[in-house]
Amino acid sequence: MKDISNKIREIAQTLFKEKKIDVFLGWEKGALDFQTVPFIARSEADARKLVFDEYSIHNLATLLLKFRDGSEKIGIAAKGCDSRSIVRLLEDKQFARERLHIIGVGCPGMKDPLQAIGMYSGLKKQQGDGNALAAKCYECVQPNPVIYDDLVGSQQPSRLTGERFARVNAMEQMNADERYRFFEDTLSKCIRCYACRQVCPACNCRTCIFDEMKPQWVGRENSPEDNMMYHLVKASHMAGRCVECGECERVCPVNIPLMLLNQKLIKDVNTFFGPYEAGMNYVEGAKPPLSSYSEKDPDDFI
Amino acid sequence: MKVLSKSKLETALNKLNQSAEVFLPMQKDKESGFYSWKLFNQGQDELMLNALNVYLPPKNVVLPQTERMYSIKQEGQEIKIDKTFEDSSPRVIFGARPCDLKAILCMDDVFLTRGYEDSFYKCRREAITIVANACFQPGPACFCAAMEINPLEPAGADVIICDAGEAYSWEAKTPKGEALTAQITEYLEEKSLSLPAAKPFVQDVKYEGVAEKLKGMFNNHIWERLGESCHNCGICTYVCPSCYCFDIQVKMWGDEGYRFRCWDSCMYEEYSREAGGGNPRGSGIERFRNRFLHKLEFFKERYGTPLCTGCGRCIVACPAGINIVKIIDEIKEAELDA
Ligand code: SF4
Ligand code: SF4
Ligand code: SF4
Ligand code: SF4
Ligand code: SF4
Repeated sequence: MKDISNKIREIAQTLFKEKKIDVFLGWEKGALDFQTVPFIARSEADARKLVFDEYSIHNLATLLLKFRDGSEKIGIAAKGCDSRSIVRLLEDKQFARERLHIIGVGCPGMKDPLQAIGMYSGLKKQQGDGNALAAKCYECVQPNPVIYDDLVGSQQPSRLTGERFARVNAMEQMNADERYRFFEDTLSKCIRCYACRQVCPACNCRTCIFDEMKPQWVGRENSPEDNMMYHLVKASHMAGRCVECGECERVCPVNIPLMLLNQKLIKDVNTFFGPYEAGMNYVEGAKPPLSSYSEKDPDDFI
Repeated sequence: MKVLSKSKLETALNKLNQSAEVFLPMQKDKESGFYSWKLFNQGQDELMLNALNVYLPPKNVVLPQTERMYSIKQEGQEIKIDKTFEDSSPRVIFGARPCDLKAILCMDDVFLTRGYEDSFYKCRREAITIVANACFQPGPACFCAAMEINPLEPAGADVIICDAGEAYSWEAKTPKGEALTAQITEYLEEKSLSLPAAKPFVQDVKYEGVAEKLKGMFNNHIWERLGESCHNCGICTYVCPSCYCFDIQVKMWGDEGYRFRCWDSCMYEEYSREAGGGNPRGSGIERFRNRFLHKLEFFKERYGTPLCTGCGRCIVACPAGINIVKIIDEIKEAELDA
């Protein structure tokens, strides 16, 4: 990974030198060994601090949104899942492709700094042997970048070994009552911090439905009803748009299985409107299923 | 000294549970936090009195994330307050670490002093007894001593317990503490106990002078750099034992409804949005700055103590790796803009 790190640094420095970019979004080392944190470099000197290591898990694509109203040229490093997130943002017309210079990285699988720091501080129990990859990386179907200007690192095989939608299939086996109880119990724990929304590349709406006050669509009480409403609405906004980067579930402070809902929708969108896999390739003007509208639609209800 | 043997802990908890709801640090499934002893599942859950901190602080006990305040009925042109929901049922927080205890004292300052008394808070708080668990071995993320706390002899506890291996020492500090002691006196023994030696802190944090220096740093350039990777997600404020910001909202169905209070966070755009649509903290960086100024400067100015208690939770939970200790360092090192 040292190699990848050096290459990213070199390319970023050159881009700055040649004035091809104004900022570069990458990672730098944080205060602790296992903390590799998002970093916005603004000069060739800054770019020397860039690193890529086994903790570069943070999806940088959402950082792009901080620049969506500007005209800066932006360099960005992107693993497989990050690159699908960039496609999401391009399809959602948050950026012109010309503003981006993407360094794609074939991703060898990441560890989760949130798990590591939790164990280090004694607030979380050790899971696995400590060398384990982040949970989301074991389900990764696309470790290689799908859109890039430069490519570093080697081609990586898909790391998914088991069945793709195992968790979803198990949930589908429950009867309606069991399922209701499962979701009521699980979602009651949600503390409604909205971190799952903030880290989501598909959540790029300027005004989110949950922040609207007039009318207020979803109540702010921390109750099973309001919590379920939050998750129902959030999940349905992900249909056809979730790129499976897994960041929502990873950052959730109370372990809500957000990807269970997202994967159910991925499966259903693929079955009923597919074949479709979100964010896999960027075609200018292409629209994901459920994002287009036709008067000739045979269904009389959306 | 009075001693509670660990073998008698569960019976003592059962006893306390008869007259009050007892909240303890527990691991429940994958979560850790303060939960009611009533919800403890033998064999599945784990008591976490020996862990330094649990993920979710006991804040929820003193300031519930959602609390009904009063219900409303509309009759013709009249609006009537139907019922108020002040809650004075007795509760015990058992095993709060000194940092979490101090956080509750900070909330007491906010809700009970300077000429404002929040009756909902007051009612609940007066019925809460706090058993604090002294810390002899600070964890890697802890820095309470730098934030004006004595982890061995925390101020404001009703009872202080110290873990001495097989047993806890038990020392009542207030009349409430005495009353609690009386309830379980049959399980307490009188004997001497050697307490562990206090270990040094892993992190060296120097808060002195930070509040004063921040007065001149509102427009300093460091905020941009420190905060630009922050998601404004609010995790840090929701896991923080002392962040107390709230919103008051209403739910109505036809002629009936109720008002409730719920946690809110200065990290959210909507929190500082004004009725006319303006927002004094419209950008994420401004909201990020507010959090640290409130913790490290404003609260100290108003109440004489910082609002950060050094528990380290935000350091552990922040997805962007933002670290308040590093921010304190950076403030100390920063050059003041001319
Ligand atoms: S699911 Fe998790 S991250 Fe999302 S709002 Fe709830 S607690 Fe926060
Ligand atoms: S939850 Fe829905 S409305 Fe809110 S940001 Fe995400 S997609 Fe947009
Ligand atoms: S910060 Fe201090 S009081 Fe809190 S757990 Fe650590 S040592 Fe104990
Ligand atoms: S500091 Fe971290 S936890 Fe707090 S809002 Fe920013 S990203 Fe979220
Ligand atoms: S600001 Fe962070 S370290 Fe300080 S009390 Fe809050 S959660 Fe703990």
